[in-house]
Amino acid sequence: MGMLKNVMTAMRPTFQAGGKLEKLLPIYEAFDTILFSTDRQTDSGPHIRDSIDLKRVMIIVVLALIPATVFGMINIGYQEALAQGLSRSWGANLAAGARVFIPLLLVAYAVGGFWEFLFAVIRKQEVDEGFLVTGLLIPLIMPPTLPLWQLVMATTFGTVIGKMIFGGTGKNIFNPALTARAFIFFAYPGNISGDKVWLLGPDGYSGATALSIPATVPGEHAVRLLNSVQQFDFSWTNMFMGWIPGSIGETSKLMILIGAFILIVTRIGSWRIMLGAVLGAVFTASLTNVFSSYSTNTMLTIPPHYHLVMGGFLFAAVFMATDPVSGSYTDRGRWIYGFMIGLLTVTIRAVNPAYPEGAMLSVLLMNAFSPLIDYYVVKGHMKRRIAHYAK
Amino acid sequence: MAHIVIKKGHTIRISGQPRKEIEILSPPGSVALTPSQFRYVKPKLLVREGDSVRRGDPLFFDKLETRVRWASPGGGTVSRIVYGPRRRLDAVIIELEKDESVVTGPAFDADKLTSLGRDRVISTLLEAGCWPLLRQRPFTKIASPDDTPKSIFVSVAPTAPLSPDSDIVIQGREADFQAGLDVLTNLTAGKVHLVRSQLSTAAIFSQAKNVELHTVEGPHPAGNVGVQIHHIDPIKPGDVVWTVTLQHVILLGHLFLSGQVDPEIVITLGGPGASDPVHVKTRMGLPISTLTDGRLKTGEQRLISGDPLTGTAKDSDQFLNYYDFALTVLPVSHERPFFGWLRWGSPATKYTLTGAYRSNRQGTYEFSTLQNGDPRALVPIGAWEKVLPMNIWPNPLFRAILANDVEEMENLGLLELDEEDVALCSFACPSKIDLGATVRKGLDVLFKEG
Repeated sequence: MGMLKNVMTAMRPTFQAGGKLEKLLPIYEAFDTILFSTDRQTDSGPHIRDSIDLKRVMIIVVLALIPATVFGMINIGYQEALAQGLSRSWGANLAAGARVFIPLLLVAYAVGGFWEFLFAVIRKQEVDEGFLVTGLLIPLIMPPTLPLWQLVMATTFGTVIGKMIFGGTGKNIFNPALTARAFIFFAYPGNISGDKVWLLGPDGYSGATALSIPATVPGEHAVRLLNSVQQFDFSWTNMFMGWIPGSIGETSKLMILIGAFILIVTRIGSWRIMLGAVLGAVFTASLTNVFSSYSTNTMLTIPPHYHLVMGGFLFAAVFMATDPVSGSYTDRGRWIYGFMIGLLTVTIRAVNPAYPEGAMLSVLLMNAFSPLIDYYVVKGHMKRRIAHYAK
Repeated sequence: MAHIVIKKGHTIRISGQPRKEIEILSPPGSVALTPSQFRYVKPKLLVREGDSVRRGDPLFFDKLETRVRWASPGGGTVSRIVYGPRRRLDAVIIELEKDESVVTGPAFDADKLTSLGRDRVISTLLEAGCWPLLRQRPFTKIASPDDTPKSIFVSVAPTAPLSPDSDIVIQGREADFQAGLDVLTNLTAGKVHLVRSQLSTAAIFSQAKNVELHTVEGPHPAGNVGVQIHHIDPIKPGDVVWTVTLQHVILLGHLFLSGQVDPEIVITLGGPGASDPVHVKTRMGLPISTLTDGRLKTGEQRLISGDPLTGTAKDSDQFLNYYDFALTVLPVSHERPFFGWLRWGSPATKYTLTGAYRSNRQGTYEFSTLQNGDPRALVPIGAWEKVLPMNIWPNPLFRAILANDVEEMENLGLLELDEEDVALCSFACPSKIDLGATVRKGLDVLFKEG
């Protein structure tokens, strides 16, 4: 370690002003501060500071994603074994899943990192750590069969259009990972919808996700319909546990809840947004249940607690909606923002049979609305303050 | 009479808490006044190098408000006048005489102090060069002699890290303190509010006369006068509230009882770099070296006039600031742990208000000058809101100041704030944003707008 530190110190002059590689200083600084915590001193303001920094914030989010990631890999292998009629150990499933997931992950980090470094060098800014999270989120919200070249395109779009053109982490309007997913959704819809993409298996093997089943059979009751599926166990418990097809990271609600716990305990994710989203979904689903008898739309009959464990809703509520930059930043706004995400998710699921998964898109939509929510929340706050003055 | 309970905030458990005893410091050879520390003031000298001055003689005045003058904190010879960049007046240093000569102004009987009348008090204070003891909110600047404040606040409940204990400071100074409060009652049409800590045991704080008594409990910044004003008598647009520190009330009382400027103050020497943290009795404007000589731990230390959240870094040949009653010694660290941001953390190595590290929950922590991260764009994880116990939303305010939106700054409550009230926000910020500097920037804009 001492040696490494000496190497880094010896390399510093090369990157500083006047050095051969002075243009690459942001890259050097990124690696230098990743390896060894910065020794930057306080100069203005408080002379002492909290130990937290943005690197730590981001790594905590990554930590919170790890349970879902590991489970996602196991589930890829498990579903593959299921398709081939094999019975494999967890370890073998994990290995099989890792063979699929690790390349996706590496490509996402490599491509995203490339853009981060490029923009940092051009703008002479420090590399920001937001990509630690985005680079992991992007593969987690993709189907396991996604071609790598499409991931390259999506990551590029998500990083550059979703974040960099606004100035980087802290300045973006949309969640970059969701921007990447939206790109795939609109550019290559065949690779992120339908019943072929969620599973690895022999050619032509298919398996619908839990959401698309009630979307395609009208006039049924959703729970009965799900229970009648032979190929997968679509019971509530199993969907909660996550042994079902879907995007890589979203299937296990248990693992997502562990992540939510980590985010809330470390005070990094907003519990208001998470709870708001759940309440919004439960409220809207209860409403659709009430009106389900007037329609043959089976989606209307999905009970609230099923909505929570189907599709990407919980993943979106815990990891996507809580992005502090693209979401609301006022506490009251966070409730509204979260609630609307839940409401929109269930609404899109219920009334848009062409695309039964609404969670990710509703977060993206609410990203666009969060400044408006904050605007009115802040306006209300100012109004109350002025009324308080008048007293 | 109100009891304020503050929930949001945090009392920083920094190591080097001063012992609750007073050590008497041998008198310094020189003292100084630092004109550049007063904001919105254009100082103009009244003395030259080599002049002999008495304690209480005016050293300089404010070109913008010529009645406001600053009394010399000591008697002797003006040994040096220090200029900073762009001929900024940095310090007027006075070599002290053995037998200091002192200006003696009018003295008053203790029982007549409440009925002196506003004009008499103002002219006495201006004449004595003690007007700068009175500061106003908004803007935290020296009060204007033409204003009649709607109330005056005296906070004797310090919660800022390493501040002197009011119960210790007040020992033996009760009469001067009560006299000071009596004098203040002449200046406002409203009340003089005295806010003490719920834990305070000094009788004078709970029995002071002619003032409105309040108690406060809770973590820092509960003791900040800005927070107390907000909860007791909030500043509305157009309002002016004056504030005086505990020790300046004592000085003021002494001035009216004896006619003389009493330079004696009690300050703390504390912080992780102080070898023997303690309260010391010394005098205003003392050179920092007299306080720190032989009292520092080995290694490079940062000397701070004031508390570690809001103080000013000083060299050892510089002087304690006018409104500061603490000297904090903070070790300068260049430690760079390997993969520090990936580690679990331990109470000895990490201190955070979030749960992002296994950090200090009890006991004290050895802070250093490390910023613990590089500055980044704002990522609002709610760190600021958890430590600002006022009906003010720091986040929209920050944005309004950056956008230079004057109306919104005002409506969001900027006039009620000062750097010190948001110092904890800057402390807790994961993006290492100095919210205090932004708040001051906004206040400067509002001040210019008038």
